[in-house]
Amino acid sequence: MIEVQGLTKHYGSVVAVNNVTFRVDIGTIVGLLGPNGAGKTTTLRMLAGVLGPTHGTISIAGSDLLESPLQARACLGYLSETSPLYPEMRVGDYLTYRAAIKGIKRRRRPDAVREALSSTHCDDVIDIRVSNLSRGYRQRVGLADALLASPPVLLLDEPTAGLDPNQIREVRELITTLRQSRAILLSTHVLAEVEAICTEAVVIHRGQLVAHGTLQDLRAGHRAADVALVVRDPDRLTPAICADLGWGLRPDAERAVESPSVDAGETLRFVVYPEQLTGSMGSRLEELVAVLVKSGVGVRGVNQSSRALETVFAELTSEVGTFAP
Amino acid sequence: MTALIATLRRELASLWLTPLAWILWLALLLIEGGVFASIVTSFATNPGLTLDVGPLQAFYGQSVFVPLTFLFVCPTLSMRAFAEERRTGTIENLLSAPVSAAAVVLGKYLALLVSFSVLWLPTLLYPLVLRSVAEVEWKVVATSYVGIFGLGAGFLAIGVLCSTMTRSQFLSLVLSSGVLLAFIVLGIGENVFDAGFLQAFCSHVAIQSQLMETAQGIVSARRMIFDVTLSAVPIFLSVRVVDSWRWS
Repeated sequence: MIEVQGLTKHYGSVVAVNNVTFRVDIGTIVGLLGPNGAGKTTTLRMLAGVLGPTHGTISIAGSDLLESPLQARACLGYLSETSPLYPEMRVGDYLTYRAAIKGIKRRRRPDAVREALSSTHCDDVIDIRVSNLSRGYRQRVGLADALLASPPVLLLDEPTAGLDPNQIREVRELITTLRQSRAILLSTHVLAEVEAICTEAVVIHRGQLVAHGTLQDLRAGHRAADVALVVRDPDRLTPAICADLGWGLRPDAERAVESPSVDAGETLRFVVYPEQLTGSMGSRLEELVAVLVKSGVGVRGVNQSSRALETVFAELTSEVGTFAP
Repeated sequence: MTALIATLRRELASLWLTPLAWILWLALLLIEGGVFASIVTSFATNPGLTLDVGPLQAFYGQSVFVPLTFLFVCPTLSMRAFAEERRTGTIENLLSAPVSAAAVVLGKYLALLVSFSVLWLPTLLYPLVLRSVAEVEWKVVATSYVGIFGLGAGFLAIGVLCSTMTRSQFLSLVLSSGVLLAFIVLGIGENVFDAGFLQAFCSHVAIQSQLMETAQGIVSARRMIFDVTLSAVPIFLSVRVVDSWRWS
């Protein structure tokens, strides 16, 4: 539904987005991730038709955004980062105006406005002037604007910014509901949001696409696990025992257990790459605990977790970005 | 067309919901009313006055206040057209909507033209008042308003173009006022230069000359072509500028 091929944007000599290619299908919610200045907003603005790409093609619901811009833009709803609205207008009048320029027939406009306001839970502000709205309400009116005309493609830049926890939950539920018949691309800094509602993620770093896939795929590409062992007597952790921690690993699996360290008094942390272990993670941990118990270090607890998206994101974007358009 | 009309209606509401248009209206009517009253009084108190023109011709064609009101009305009305949209970011909503740059520019421009016409509408009362004491040449009234509307349309178009060039309403106001002032100053050149290209050029763009002609019931094709060009070229350029924002 959204197809992006070789998308590139130059600002003078600076390359803000470089040869980005991805696709968002109907029924999927794709999170657009990246550090500040990575090119997320520039990418979304190009997809919304606000900015023209230097190179590359964008297809929205089968229409080329450059060759048939009006047709393509008619198929998308866009919530920009700051959700700008006309302060002097009343919410109902504003959305009626937006419905008109989006080509909704005059007879349908009142219903379209009511439906959009209802789905974003702001029916009660229909007669309020925009200048009197709170940040959260402005955000939701912006979202209602994006939903007018029921576009098959939604581009949402930080859709839950400025909302309180209850509103965030409601908006996330709404976006999840909308997914059934739409392709949704949302940019956010909140990784928990991506984990909560997105089916896929696109990670951009310094204008380049560094990862794209389902959240499971992204984690699988970085299948390291964090292991925390709570030990009874860390003072007994001699170099010899540390050497023994590599016990049971294949000779070529140097990174299988890396950087054992003792911190916070009694917690021993590991980063384990299971694919490099000769056996299952469970059996290796069991053997590891046995070594520690046998050596008198003692084990009071074991906590194993697959790497969080946050860790994957940090690994993918470890370099500092250089440009913030 | 739907988008154009929707933009026109929104712009009209936006202009008249804020105090700006009302203050302009008040200022314009105070100035023009005062000028008209003083002209009529002058004619009434000097019955021996022998002039080629009557009070209406003097008001529409010879008063320097008519071109001067262009200088504050047109830039002030048009300064926010695009500058404000860019400053607040609402331009993104317009650019992402299925509407062409031409429809947006024309919608805004037509709203300014309607507002400009509304500002001048009450001055139609002046000939109506005068009719009770003297004979009124309605042709002169009609052609005078053609002249005022033609020049106003051109200056509003220049104002819209200036508004596309900056995010600051104030800078837009200064830019378009500067251009209008240049036209007024060039018009003076008509009486300064000797006959030749410069004199002909200054005569061609002189605002006061056009107003004097239309106040005598003359609507020449040359003046009308000038007015249409004065409107069409800036509006065409404004559309190009708005389109170019996507590629900046």
